[in-house]
Amino acid sequence: MNTLLTLTHGVLVLALPIVLVGLVNRTKSWWAGRKGPRLLQSASDLRRLLGKRPVISTVASPLFRMSAYVVLVCGLAAASMVPMLGQFAPVQFSHDFIVVAYTLGLARIALMISAMDVGSAFEGMGAAREASFSTYAEPALFLLIGAAGAATGMTSFADLIGHLHSTPYFPVIVLPLVLALLILLQTEAARVPVDDPLTHLELTMIHEVMILDHSGPELAAMQYAAALKMTLYAGLIAALINPMNPLASPVAAILVSLGLMLLVALVVGCIESLTARLPMRWVTRYVLIGSGAALVSMVAVGLGASGL
Amino acid sequence: MNKLIEAVLVLMLGGALALLPARNIVRAGTGLVSQMIALALVWSVALPVLFGGPDVTGDMPWAYPMGSLHFRLDALGAFFLSWSLPMTLLGSVYAMGYMRKYFDSPRHIGVHFGLLNMISLSFILVYVGEHAVTFLLGWEIAALSAWLLVIWDYPNQKVRFAGFNYLVSTHVGLIFLVAAVMILYTNTQSWFLDDYGDWMSQNPGTVRNVVFLLLVTSFGLKSAFFPFHSWLPRAHAAAPAHVSALMSGVIHKAGLYALVHFLLISGKPDEWMGWFLIAFSVTSAVVGGLYTVGQRDLKRLLGYSSTENVGIAGIGFGVGCLGLSWDMPSLVALGFGGGLLHVLNHAFFKCQLFYAAGCVYQIKHVIDIERLGGLFKLMPVTAVCFIIGGVAISALPPFNGFASEFLIYSGLFTGESINIWAKLTLALTAAALAFVGAVSALSITRAFGVIFLGNARDNSLPEAHEASRWMLIPMVVHTIGTVVLGVAPTLGFALVAAPTALFLHLTPDAVAFDTLRSVTGTLVRIGAISAGLVAVLVVVLALVWLRARLKRQMPTRNATWGCGYGAPNARMQYTGASFSADFADRFKNIMLMLKRQKAPAGYFPRDSYVITDCVDAVERRLFAVINHGDESATDLSKKLHEDDPRLAFSAGLAAIVAIGALVLLAEGGLP
Repeated sequence: MNTLLTLTHGVLVLALPIVLVGLVNRTKSWWAGRKGPRLLQSASDLRRLLGKRPVISTVASPLFRMSAYVVLVCGLAAASMVPMLGQFAPVQFSHDFIVVAYTLGLARIALMISAMDVGSAFEGMGAAREASFSTYAEPALFLLIGAAGAATGMTSFADLIGHLHSTPYFPVIVLPLVLALLILLQTEAARVPVDDPLTHLELTMIHEVMILDHSGPELAAMQYAAALKMTLYAGLIAALINPMNPLASPVAAILVSLGLMLLVALVVGCIESLTARLPMRWVTRYVLIGSGAALVSMVAVGLGASGL
Repeated sequence: MNKLIEAVLVLMLGGALALLPARNIVRAGTGLVSQMIALALVWSVALPVLFGGPDVTGDMPWAYPMGSLHFRLDALGAFFLSWSLPMTLLGSVYAMGYMRKYFDSPRHIGVHFGLLNMISLSFILVYVGEHAVTFLLGWEIAALSAWLLVIWDYPNQKVRFAGFNYLVSTHVGLIFLVAAVMILYTNTQSWFLDDYGDWMSQNPGTVRNVVFLLLVTSFGLKSAFFPFHSWLPRAHAAAPAHVSALMSGVIHKAGLYALVHFLLISGKPDEWMGWFLIAFSVTSAVVGGLYTVGQRDLKRLLGYSSTENVGIAGIGFGVGCLGLSWDMPSLVALGFGGGLLHVLNHAFFKCQLFYAAGCVYQIKHVIDIERLGGLFKLMPVTAVCFIIGGVAISALPPFNGFASEFLIYSGLFTGESINIWAKLTLALTAAALAFVGAVSALSITRAFGVIFLGNARDNSLPEAHEASRWMLIPMVVHTIGTVVLGVAPTLGFALVAAPTALFLHLTPDAVAFDTLRSVTGTLVRIGAISAGLVAVLVVVLALVWLRARLKRQMPTRNATWGCGYGAPNARMQYTGASFSADFADRFKNIMLMLKRQKAPAGYFPRDSYVITDCVDAVERRLFAVINHGDESATDLSKKLHEDDPRLAFSAGLAAIVAIGALVLLAEGGLP
């Protein structure tokens, strides 16, 4: 059973970054009335990049190329601990969510360092924005976990997310938690309204500006890692809502989770089509909504548990 | 015990010999050799205690009114001794390189090395002394030697001011400590810390609470908790690099030692003490972290990050206190174990970062990050050591900071059944800790990115190259420690286990010792994850390199993307100030940014500039209050006429009334 789930988890982690990005782009082109790229277009893009010879800035240090793979490896390591199918993750132990958050933190620091490494006037800007927005995003994740942990009394990521739907607080806190996760997704995976992956103006970019000087396989690694991050957060949202227990009814749970993740990609695509990105000075407030929502659910759990 | 006394004598003798007329190199060598001998002696006593041996005790008769001096080395003291002395030795080795340019000058280098010996000596006194007087004596020796070490460059007025600031602050801390000891002495009529502990554990109440607050204030000042940190950034910026490293990494850990020691001997704490420690430490961690963001001076930045890190360790101790008052051994083990492990880890990576900063300063003669840049290629060893320390200080895997913060987080997200609001408050604390982690990642990326990456910003500075081996070796040793304690945190915990067990003895639960085993199990897992991460990364990088080799796709080089601009120069790179401007702007109420600017005016503007500087809000407020007090005193004295007989009469009357009241109110009357 566990082997089957682990395999499914692995396949989803590897395949969904491509599918979800394709789906988001498809949704956007649908709203815009275009035919749009193929669903698996980004797979071809990645293959094309892998075949290219990288061009590296003359200023760059050896850290520059290394960091692309640090980002990728850290993303994959975190993916092994993130419950995507509900109450299950291939690697699961007490307080594993701290490892998830901090491996992603290592990925972030590697990304920012590679941006600073080329001595550009723009890329530092992206790194500075990434750094300052992440300081608002990080507490949101921990508040969310705190709320879920207090509600379920569990200490591992998969358990505290997966058991949530069986607690009496679930109907009250599900909405704020999903909202918080969605905002985290948009912040961490550089989506509208926090960041726009399609922008072509260096002054307004966040994630894209940091990888301006990457090319070839390194660019492929960076792009895949960004899509992977989106998959992880979409998976978390799916696991939070998914009422099925993957250990009891694996097929149903996998299908529901998969459907929910695709739905999240659709929602992300719709938001991207219907709203413009926020002015940079509003982004912090937007990210803080995530923390606020998580805080609200914490208070709800507290009031509920003390019988009010 | 005799060996410890021998170690003290060796250190004093080495310090004295270093003062004799000889060549500077001989004086420095004497200091190093005596420290090595003392280290061997101390290790031979401390390590057995740390690994399960009985406490080492000793008495020494002394003149009235001290009575007999009592010494006892328990596992906690042994833990602190076991790394404080070797790190001081490494700092002295670093000094051999850092001070090399003074060896041929008329400056007396022996004084410096003698003072480093005194630092080691003060550790022995503080960590072993059970007698209030030897404890205070060690405390004072550490403070005075640190002060004298800070003002090495005393002809510089700024350095003297920083030193004076430190001296005053540390003695303000001493006043609180002496006050606490006076209260304890009047209640116990004893000089022994053990008796104080017994009294504190048997007499909960207002007096104990006051003593606790006095002690926390004093130790907070020593370890530079917010808001008692204002002396720290100045002192760290002014001192030679190894002195900053030792102060931040090792000497000020004495404050945390004393805090933990008093918590240990005073038995079961009240619940509010745990919450108070957590609140105090979280504030310190958050504000210290925020202040690291705005600094231009790398050593000031590292100084503030000490405030942040003692806060993180303090959160652990707070969790441990809660565990003691709730009788939950798992919280005790995670809190005190995590906190003490963080103290050890911080000593490793903080010294490493200061040594790297010292290497940069030694070569470039500048520590202002805005004037540096592009040092990675010229100083690769220093740069790698700095980034490893930086990743560790941001508590990211795979280095040691992660392991200790993981334990503290595990305590905060406890699975024990406690009050729901307590649980949520702890989760809120964890969120604050996550914020601190992200902030320190920001400031370390900023510092590393601006100093070591990109292009050199100022070509008027001397050409960069690697510093001397005397400086590289201590830095590399610390780096190895940081990495090893990251992939095998159980090694660090092996040192921490015995002192943590002392706290577990205070919990009545019989299963207490299983918790130690489970914490070790957790750390094995964390170590495995860190090691696995490193291994996978190495494999992936090897494969990438092999693939590029086989497909003949070795990268080509070209200019950085400049948005189409053809003549980019190094001044156009992103600077430290611009990196932090966005973030600092959100916290301008906490971080005061002073901005002086002259806007360009006219058709052909000549000199225009913007200078931003992040100043310490607490220090400014302190100085404002002091200035204000000074002014009011002056105003008051203007109103009083000294030659007025009424003044003399009323002052005399007031004094007589006060003395009379004291005599009447005193319980025992005059002896």
